[in-house]
Amino acid sequence: MVKVWAIVRVELTRLLRDRSNLFFVFLFPLLLIVFIGAQFGSDFSTRLGVVADAGDAEAASLIAALDDLEGITTVAFDSREELADEVDRGRISAGVVLPDGYGDALRAVEPVEVVFLGRPDATSASLQALVGAALAEQVLPGAAATLLVSGRAAVGAPPVEAAELREVALAVEDQASRIEVSATTLGVDELAEEFAGLGQFDIGASSQLFLFTFLTSLTGAGALIQTRQYGVATRMLSTPTSTFSVLLGTGGGRLAIALFQAVYIVVISTVAFGVNWGDPLGATAVILLFAVGAAAAAMVVGSVFSTDSQAAGAGIGIGLGAAALGGSMVPIELYPETVAQVARITPHFWANEAMAELVRRDGTIVDILPQLAALGGFAVALVALGSWTLSRALVR
Amino acid sequence: MGAVLRCSGLRKAFGDIQAVDDVGFEIAPGETYGLLGPNGAGKTTSISMIAGLLHPDAGEIEVLGTRMTPRALDAKAAVGLVPQDLAIYPDLTARENLHFFGRLQHMSRHDVRARSDEILEVIGLRERSDDRAGEFSGGMKRRLNIGIGLLHQPRLLILDEPTVGVDPQSRNAILESVEALAVEGLAVLYTTHYMEEAERLCRRIAIVDQGRIVAEGTRRELIDTISEQDIVRLKVAGDVHAAAVACDALPSVSSADAEDDEVVCLLDQAASSLPALLAAVSSVDASVVGVEVREPDLEDVFLYLTGRALRD
Repeated sequence: MVKVWAIVRVELTRLLRDRSNLFFVFLFPLLLIVFIGAQFGSDFSTRLGVVADAGDAEAASLIAALDDLEGITTVAFDSREELADEVDRGRISAGVVLPDGYGDALRAVEPVEVVFLGRPDATSASLQALVGAALAEQVLPGAAATLLVSGRAAVGAPPVEAAELREVALAVEDQASRIEVSATTLGVDELAEEFAGLGQFDIGASSQLFLFTFLTSLTGAGALIQTRQYGVATRMLSTPTSTFSVLLGTGGGRLAIALFQAVYIVVISTVAFGVNWGDPLGATAVILLFAVGAAAAAMVVGSVFSTDSQAAGAGIGIGLGAAALGGSMVPIELYPETVAQVARITPHFWANEAMAELVRRDGTIVDILPQLAALGGFAVALVALGSWTLSRALVR
Repeated sequence: MGAVLRCSGLRKAFGDIQAVDDVGFEIAPGETYGLLGPNGAGKTTSISMIAGLLHPDAGEIEVLGTRMTPRALDAKAAVGLVPQDLAIYPDLTARENLHFFGRLQHMSRHDVRARSDEILEVIGLRERSDDRAGEFSGGMKRRLNIGIGLLHQPRLLILDEPTVGVDPQSRNAILESVEALAVEGLAVLYTTHYMEEAERLCRRIAIVDQGRIVAEGTRRELIDTISEQDIVRLKVAGDVHAAAVACDALPSVSSADAEDDEVVCLLDQAASSLPALLAAVSSVDASVVGVEVREPDLEDVFLYLTGRALRD
């Protein structure tokens, strides 16, 4: 193992020493995660849209009360249609439409219709309950105060009697009954449903992880060719190091590079963007199997090509092509059915499917066993092919 | 003491091309053995088999009594290979290169560190040990290439054309290092197509052409294999013609002619015949004031044996 580790260590050292990798391995993945996250806006998991008259003090008070609720951020919209569209697309969890003259109606103890726009999910139901409670909290003290003032005026400000309090209570109850919260459940967009509840960067992070882990592995395959061109591979075999150890070390080096890229994206995206990676065990299994496949693919590319520029070109082409087809650039849900079926030939498809199950649907490792089996199949096939081609290339 | 390397009947073909054909020789401890031949003669293929990189089609290789094959890790541990093409990582420092190959030689971290310092001193790269090899001159890279082969203190050092593309100063340093290593008891297999290097370094030389050893022996033995005669020019004070007649009468001299103040003799074994020549000139009241002997060199031997010049 000492020799295997020596080879792995050299592979990693060479990766980190190549200045061009500083951009492609460290900076570029983060830029893409941020870019894709920006397409989804800021944290939308508990965003509550509000349509209200900006000059209405009572409406402003209600919005402030909603904003004060833990975990809820209100977002102002100009029209009910605009709000409904955003809720429909899943960018806003739910919406509240306060009618024009909302404050006046409250003060006049007149009926008020508040429209709640929700989605058929638990988040909407919770938000509806919270909005109802906030409305009641705002309305009841107002109604009581109104009745007390009018009562005092009528009797010359006598002390509040029990009968009077009873009357206040009845009036409050009456006012409360005048506020109608009409809940409207919007039609469900399947894509919006699929991505509902995700953090801003959750979608981009996992898909970019697979894109870059595969891409970095493949573009780094040129290092294998250099090792042969430099004569180092031959020299390794002239030492008391078996071909198997050289293969293991070389493959291990590729795996270390793939895992390095993957772990870097996981750590930095979690720390910097709070990305949710789902069940840790499941995510680890997916990333590990995917990285093995990526490393083995790099062995194949590094063996069948003769120059590192050929390998780099092929690596970029295959890496980006597989990523695009496998749903790492555009969600697979947007693909036509035929393309989505073809995408199954890429490990990216299965990895993205697995992460969707873990992150979007709160799945566990048990729920992604089919995807893991597919990724395992890719890994085994590619390792076998990579070992065979590299062992032939080493002794050429 | 037994031979460090013993190989016999080595054969290797690549398709229709017989790269190595019945090659065999032995190298004793402290001996530098040369494989002299033009490019494409089969030297590197022979070395690849001896280093355990290639399976021979036929023949046997033993290093310290252990059969050498691509799987013979014990035998490989006794060999230090310095390939013709530089086999170093240019993006690693000199020390990192040494450390990497030292670990592949199964040396401990401590041993690698200590031995690397020694080697860096020997190859004159101590001051540049933490610079990347890619920044080195050609000669420095060559020296690092040799240092890696010496790192694990092998019993047999294989140097495949180690001075190709090297400046004269570095070349001389490399040759001196090889001489010193042989003195220390290291067996060295040295391939070259430079006749002067083979003559300077190697106790025994095999002349290789088209995959075969066409002649083997010490430099003297090789030169003696050709029938070409030596030419001796004697600058004579006195009766030049009488001196020429006296020289011509000697049995080892094929012919002797007077040319101006010189007697030009064509003869076998000039070195051994020279005293008799001097005596013959003296016997006729003349004296020799200058001698020029030109004897065949390995270039002539190769030309004689193959009909081609060494660097064709």
